[in-house]
Amino acid sequence: MTAAPALGRLTDDQRAIRDAVRTLARDRVAPRAAEIDRSAAFPEDLRLLLAEQGILGLPFPERFGGLGADLLTVCLAIEALSAACATTGLILAVQELGALPLLLAGTEEQLGRFVPGLAAGRDLIAFALTEADAGSDAAAVRSRAVRDGETYVISGTKRFISHGSIASLVTVFAVTDPEADRRRRLSAFVVETASPGFSVSRLEHKMGIRGSPTAELAFDGVSVPVANRIGAEGDGFGLAMRTLDRSRPGIAAQAVGIAQGALDAAVAYAGQRRQFGRAIGEFQLVQGLLADMDARTEAARQLLYTACEEIERGGIDAGRWSALCKLVAGDAAMAVTTDAVQVFGGYGYLDDFPVERMMRDAKITQLYEGTQQIQRLVIARALLGRDA
Amino acid sequence: MGGIWVIGEVDAGGALTKLSGEAATAARAMGEAGSLDVQGVIVSAEPDEAAASLATFLPVVLAVRSPEARERPAAAIVAARVAALAAAADDPPAYLVVGATPDGRDLAGALSALLEVGILVGGTGLAWGAAADGVPAGPRVEMQPFGGRIVTTSAFSGPRGIVLLRPSMVVAEPLAAPGRVEAVAAQGTVNVAPVRVVERVVAPTIGPSIEEARVIVAGGRGVGGPEGFAGLGELAGLLGGGAVGATRAAVDAGWVDYAIQIGQTGKTVKPSVYLAFGVSGAIQHKVGMQTAETIVAINRDPDAPIGEFADLFVVADLAAVVPALTAALRARAG
Amino acid sequence: MRIVVLMKPVPDPGEERLGADGRLDRAVSAVINGNDEYVLEAALQLVEANGGEVTLLTMAPAGITDPIRKALAMGATRAVLVSDPALGGACAWSTAQVLAAALRTLEYDLVLAGADTSDGGGGVVGAAIATLLHHPYLSRARKIEPIEGGVRVERISAAGHDVLEAELPAVVAGTQLLGEPRYPSLRGIMGARSKEIAIRTLAEIGLADRPVGGAHATTTLVDARPPASRGSTRVVRGLEPVAAAAAIVDFLVERRAL
Repeated sequence: MTAAPALGRLTDDQRAIRDAVRTLARDRVAPRAAEIDRSAAFPEDLRLLLAEQGILGLPFPERFGGLGADLLTVCLAIEALSAACATTGLILAVQELGALPLLLAGTEEQLGRFVPGLAAGRDLIAFALTEADAGSDAAAVRSRAVRDGETYVISGTKRFISHGSIASLVTVFAVTDPEADRRRRLSAFVVETASPGFSVSRLEHKMGIRGSPTAELAFDGVSVPVANRIGAEGDGFGLAMRTLDRSRPGIAAQAVGIAQGALDAAVAYAGQRRQFGRAIGEFQLVQGLLADMDARTEAARQLLYTACEEIERGGIDAGRWSALCKLVAGDAAMAVTTDAVQVFGGYGYLDDFPVERMMRDAKITQLYEGTQQIQRLVIARALLGRDA
Repeated sequence: MGGIWVIGEVDAGGALTKLSGEAATAARAMGEAGSLDVQGVIVSAEPDEAAASLATFLPVVLAVRSPEARERPAAAIVAARVAALAAAADDPPAYLVVGATPDGRDLAGALSALLEVGILVGGTGLAWGAAADGVPAGPRVEMQPFGGRIVTTSAFSGPRGIVLLRPSMVVAEPLAAPGRVEAVAAQGTVNVAPVRVVERVVAPTIGPSIEEARVIVAGGRGVGGPEGFAGLGELAGLLGGGAVGATRAAVDAGWVDYAIQIGQTGKTVKPSVYLAFGVSGAIQHKVGMQTAETIVAINRDPDAPIGEFADLFVVADLAAVVPALTAALRARAG
Repeated sequence: MRIVVLMKPVPDPGEERLGADGRLDRAVSAVINGNDEYVLEAALQLVEANGGEVTLLTMAPAGITDPIRKALAMGATRAVLVSDPALGGACAWSTAQVLAAALRTLEYDLVLAGADTSDGGGGVVGAAIATLLHHPYLSRARKIEPIEGGVRVERISAAGHDVLEAELPAVVAGTQLLGEPRYPSLRGIMGARSKEIAIRTLAEIGLADRPVGGAHATTTLVDARPPASRGSTRVVRGLEPVAAAAAIVDFLVERRAL
């Protein structure tokens, strides 16, 4: 890698884990990246690799077979993977996202039931909040969970659910009390996708992260035991927001990784491509582009690492840090990948080179887990007071 | 004063290896430059044939009949015999020259421990140097470590040592008239930790040894499969008995045998012509072939690292060029 | 099985350079010598199948711990590092003596070594160690198996391979054919921190007054210079296959290779 983050702030373990994931990404993930994008096929082989290496176990408590890693360590792994392939980085990011409600509010019994399989990477878990009419306006969720004795019956449709078609578990947010205040209507449930009534009704064809299946999930009277409800009735919305506060750094990490991958590719190209008798890296206009790309990537990275530490410390402004790092990183990824294509010139537009894929991959980081506009609202609310 | 002993290597059939002739030639040149006597030593259960061959290169060859050396690996036994000879000699050798085959390395290591001397591994050149800057007169060995980024010359810091000579560093040159062979009966038995041979498995041969071939046609990941290597074999045949080599990628993919792998964990070669098809030229491969006289590379990727050190770099699809080149060479021949 | 794996930290291939003292700069990003990783993997598989432990034995400057940590993360139980300022610039013969002396302080059944090292090593140290310790030496191993009281090794020969057997303790040198080394799992990385790296000085292995180390190096660097340039590369592109083939033939004729 051309750039290395300041070493002083990482512990030996964090450095060792980052380096190990980087090696794996370079040796085993990078060679697959173009083909994953071209075929839009989920890389099951890489998922197995991540499971075997313990990478999917990073976010989970050790007592259930995980590695008990902190948020920064998980983000280091996502970043390293995403530099090689954004789809592969997302495997870890989504696993963490889907499991966070359980990790934040699940009972020991629930953790014992679900986490071992997740930590081993045997089971994948998805996060199902978004609906066709409930994107940025998450509280407008309409899926219903109706209590019936010792079960809930869930009906509705979820849209844009990453890994929805390959996960064995889905964390679903549904309305348990339609009469309640907007933010007390929802509850969260762990649904096993093998349950009758669950189906994948659609798979999206996307601009980028094409190897990551994005699904529309249909819940047609799916029975879920009460024991699968996470937290109390009505806790769902708050739990979703707390989840996103902790998971947004994962997307920021993906964005920083994509940016770094694009920067590395552009630097290598600038050193080799010759025009007017010289390597194009000798021309100031190209140097200017590369320098700005590096500055933006490094700034996003340092903000991400700081955000991880702040969120891990459990301060009340976790939301602000989470939104800041995702906002800055997402915009950086888009800018850096666009400039990377520019450095490659016409060749950057061809799929012979990785940068056009990286640019297409980068866009999603400005859209999911809260659009950049939502991030700004979150930050402004933190600055001005919650109800502003 | 001590002279130079060339320890000849005997192959499974009892014949002298080609590298031993090269080692003898190099030793003679050093002996002339340093005014040292040079003699050969063959330790084998049946040393006569190899000793006679080595005597075409050296004025005196000791043929040591050692029945235990029938068993392979023989290095430990040969080392023990040579060390005993050296200890008993009126004029113990100052330098020993051994061919750097795998068995040769084992021999050199064992000799190093028995004689308590150091080892120099000659990669790209071997000569005699005069005393200078506190370094005594003696062999000067050239290597190109660090992937070829530097050329180093090393010497022994004292008056004795073992030189390991790599294949094709020197052209073997026989004497005008062969030297004489002295038969030596091995005294007593050697005290060597035994290794039992349970079975010998012979694999089908791949063709001329790549370490001795003048022309090597090498294939990498770009060749795509074993069929592609068959095509390279045909090409090699048209290039004056060339051998086929491969990169690690092709071996790992199971397309060819490890015996023809060239590079850091494979063999090092120094052919006159190295024709590389679909070889990226990564450093792990480069260190195995960078001293070839003429390097021609054909690769679809214009940015392949091999383009930086090849003499001719053809950006093209090898799938089309191999048959075209084969046809062109056939036309020339016929 | 108690296995000792000889491990040499070498500069990352491509990163090597000479220090100001004319010796190989060993502080440059050190990695496990490529060939040693294969024998380490073989050792780990042997103890996984047959019980036992893997101990790493290294001779290196004291600060070089990353390669050792990686080997511990792969699954070795402990490491012994022989480190002494006198050892800087040691030659292969010194190295063999030091490692043999260190082995005399350890209990083991099998010693495994890589075929040779990427920093210019000749693949001779294993044979020298076996001779010093009077152990059977089996080199060029492509397969290693325990047998009753001994070890069976498939050794690559010029004609194919030989199957050899020897009693323990034995020294075996292995090749890449032993199998791809595993990536250290993250769990292994985190666990490596608590594994022991025992540091031994020359005195602690009984070599206090012996002529080993840089001051007694049997070989010395006389000169180091950049290689003669190969000349520029002639690049040919955009030709049809027949024309490209003709260009190659013409070039070979020009270079008197045909």
